[in-house]
Amino acid sequence: MKLPLWRRRQDAELDEELASHLRMAIADRIARGESPEAASQAARREMGNLPLIKEVTRDTWGWTTVEQILQDIRYACRRLRKSPGFSLVAITTLALGIGANTAMFSVINAVLLRPLPFPHSERLVAVTETDLRSATSIRSTSVSWPNFFDWRSRTHGVESLSAYRDADFTLTSGTRSLHLDGAVVSSEFFSTLGVQPVLGRGFRLEEERAGADVAVISDQLWRSEFDADPAVVGRDMRLNGRRFSVVGVMPPRFRFPVSVPAPLLWVTLAYDARTESPDDEPITKQRGAHFLRVIGRLRPETSLASVQSELDVIAAAIARDYPGDQARRGVRLRPQLETLVGDRRQPLLILFAAVGCVLLIACANLANLLLARGAGRHRELSVRAALGASRRRVVSQLLTESVVLSAAGTACGLALARWWLAALVRLSPVTLRGLDEASIDGAVLAFTVLVAAGSAVAFGMIPALQAARSNLAAGLQASMRASAGRSQQRIRAGLVIAETAIGVTLLVAAGLLLRNFNHLLHTSPGFDPQNVVTARFRLPDARYSYLKQVAFYDDLLPDIAKIPGIQAVAATAPLPLSGSRYSLSVELVGSTTPAADKPSASFGMVSPGYFHAMHVPFLRGRDFSLADNDGAPRVAVVNDSFARTFFAGQDPIGQRIRPGLSTTEKETPWREIVGVVADIKHGALTESDQPAFFVPYAQGLISPLYLIVRTAGEPAGQGVAEDIRRTLARKDPELALYDVKTLDAYLATSVASERFETLLLAMFAGLGLTLTAVGLYGVVAYGVAQRTREFGIRLALGARSGEVLGMVVRRGLALAGIGLAVGVVMAAFVARLLATALHGIDPLDPVTFGAVASVLLVVAMVASYVPARRATRVDPMLALRHE
Amino acid sequence: MLKRAHYQNRIELLQGTLDLLILQALQWGPQHGYGISQALRNHSADILQVDTGSLYPALHRLERQRWIRAEWKMSERNQRARVYQLTAAGRKQLLAERSRWEQISAAIAMILERPKESRT
Repeated sequence: MKLPLWRRRQDAELDEELASHLRMAIADRIARGESPEAASQAARREMGNLPLIKEVTRDTWGWTTVEQILQDIRYACRRLRKSPGFSLVAITTLALGIGANTAMFSVINAVLLRPLPFPHSERLVAVTETDLRSATSIRSTSVSWPNFFDWRSRTHGVESLSAYRDADFTLTSGTRSLHLDGAVVSSEFFSTLGVQPVLGRGFRLEEERAGADVAVISDQLWRSEFDADPAVVGRDMRLNGRRFSVVGVMPPRFRFPVSVPAPLLWVTLAYDARTESPDDEPITKQRGAHFLRVIGRLRPETSLASVQSELDVIAAAIARDYPGDQARRGVRLRPQLETLVGDRRQPLLILFAAVGCVLLIACANLANLLLARGAGRHRELSVRAALGASRRRVVSQLLTESVVLSAAGTACGLALARWWLAALVRLSPVTLRGLDEASIDGAVLAFTVLVAAGSAVAFGMIPALQAARSNLAAGLQASMRASAGRSQQRIRAGLVIAETAIGVTLLVAAGLLLRNFNHLLHTSPGFDPQNVVTARFRLPDARYSYLKQVAFYDDLLPDIAKIPGIQAVAATAPLPLSGSRYSLSVELVGSTTPAADKPSASFGMVSPGYFHAMHVPFLRGRDFSLADNDGAPRVAVVNDSFARTFFAGQDPIGQRIRPGLSTTEKETPWREIVGVVADIKHGALTESDQPAFFVPYAQGLISPLYLIVRTAGEPAGQGVAEDIRRTLARKDPELALYDVKTLDAYLATSVASERFETLLLAMFAGLGLTLTAVGLYGVVAYGVAQRTREFGIRLALGARSGEVLGMVVRRGLALAGIGLAVGVVMAAFVARLLATALHGIDPLDPVTFGAVASVLLVVAMVASYVPARRATRVDPMLALRHE
Repeated sequence: MLKRAHYQNRIELLQGTLDLLILQALQWGPQHGYGISQALRNHSADILQVDTGSLYPALHRLERQRWIRAEWKMSERNQRARVYQLTAAGRKQLLAERSRWEQISAAIAMILERPKESRT
């Protein structure tokens, strides 16, 4: 037998003790004059059978606590092996529950709990401006360069403050053009994050001035474009038609801003400070141009609240100094992590709660299984008690069995969790921060062990205490049947009702989200997304003045339209449902509202034929034409909501509006409304219709346009993209086409989060329902097994099998019915929590509740019918003999 | 197996008494197993020869009951030996066993010394 470590040491000591005894005996004999050989022989004879002495001595050592536990574990394993059916069901149930919980917690851990990958990331804060015009909701808005400069110079509670924005660049090397995502940042960007370049240096303050064309590149760009040249610092690269010199290379895993795709290079705000003509006011001087995000690093000794109040004072001063742009604007500080997770936090927590419910159901099932088993082994426990096992010993032995089950379930669950997690990451919308790095790490393992131990106690305690409380001595009486006491039956019924109720709640929640998602999928975005390819390219400002850009688009669109198989071509910015939307304040004729209180509306710049290409119906008036150019009177098209909101009861055609948008004009121009189109969704399918207006790009081009190419039929794929790429290259070989995606793909991405959450909750609910069904089946089947004798007698006395069937099914349905009733009440409360996530679906949606009730009753019917059939097939003679 | 039963019988026969004797021997001072067996033998004028197969199980049992405690020391002949000594609990136990032994031996003596004719 292999002894545990501490036993081996004790054994070695005993060996030595007996050896020393022998040595002393021999020495004494030699001292008395015997020869060494004779002394040795005599002493050994006197000592006796050494192995036997050792064995008898070892017997006195008794069992230590640890050995008792080991013994219990061995015993538990043996018992579980003996009933493979039970073990399989129990371990599978647990593995499903624990596996799902582990996977979900890995996601929570990666997204919500893990700190950002920067030193002392807990001190990083996001600073935004706030729009205080609406009293009910304070909306965070982007920051303008002048405001950032003021904050930066006046705030003391932060170590550093840095502004940044996403930007994209066209890198030209030789004849090749490459589109790169990057960021424009203020000089202290890298030091604020606490990460320095591995090669070269970060930015200097003087490099913020226009003309300082320097860039820091990512590890990826360093390898792909510079062949990992260790002497890259000082080398040039051609970006957007200008030379930039590389000053630094960031470490491989550095990624900020957290955007998709990851930024490949960073340039200073000199990029924004530059103007094409000396008369232009650079955007770094426009206080009303809000498009930046700001990150700050708190000093170790300052708190969020103290810096917030410091910034409040600064913001109030700015608002006083610039009433036109800054009135009613405030500032808000939030932990950076919170900002990155944003509104995905609550759905994740809801999913986490849901998966916890699945585990509760699994535990209830196991408790029931163990109770049934406990009743069956009453005799065995009684014998053990009679042989001297203390009550504590019996309880601890039963609990050990639960722990062993739980450990086996956890082991399988962890294997399952790896698989689940991979699936979760694959299914999830990529915009969840940190999710792509989700893994089963130490924290997750600790959580899993905790959950497993908790489950073992949860499902093991009731059966163990039940077994210990019952009169163990009575179990020895020969007439004692394996019968459950009244209280035990109540517990079992209670468990089934509880798990049914939880299952119903899960089902209702999943049902509501499914209905909601279905509603979303059937919500029309207001345009026809099928067979449309979109793509972008950037015209470098260095070579393309405003008018040249307009002319380029004017020229390009008809050429693309000549590609065979293309039905319509148009251009727009922003692209609906692409994630970005532009808003502008609008002044109406005759309105006396002060500038700061002007209403705002969504806006887009479009090409002539855009509405036609998108299949957006015209309600009144006309579309733009190429004649609406920079030299022509300024015009606009508004949507239906705009017309109804601002021109209720009037004809909007011919009315004039003044949005805060100008390009080549000396002052912001008034625009005449020439047409009205139907509403389309700009930000999300879930949004309500909002006022929007459109201008021809020739009269308001402020950002690169998306090409909209509608093809005659599917597939609107890469073939078309290649044709567009060739057409573009013919016009200007330095341009890079990027973001080639179908409009359908944008639509799918816009509901990706909802799809992910709905799918997950539906999976959890399905798992919950399955486990509930198994639990119900188990209880009914056990009830039937116990009443075999009774059914036998009933059948023998002439009961029809239908009556027996009815009895059993009725009991199953009664349990499910009570669970359903409780569950519906619980679900009504939970639905209220979900209300914010539901669009167009009532939280108490009768269809969902009705469907869940019927599904549950059908499942309960099946789960009861199967064992009930068995009850009717009882052979009366066998049943009476059965004992 | 037979042999093992033989040893166990011996232990059971001697159990109470052997414990008392060991405790008493340790009362005279810390001692190793061999020393205890020699002491018992010498002080009983060679009448009591404690079997090794009984002595060590008894020592380990007493140790487990915390009446004696053991530690490795160098013996008088400079050899490592496991030396036992009485604990406070052991001293108390010795007193208790002693008085029990005295009662029993007195009782046995009374029975053995009862004159024959008194039997009816």
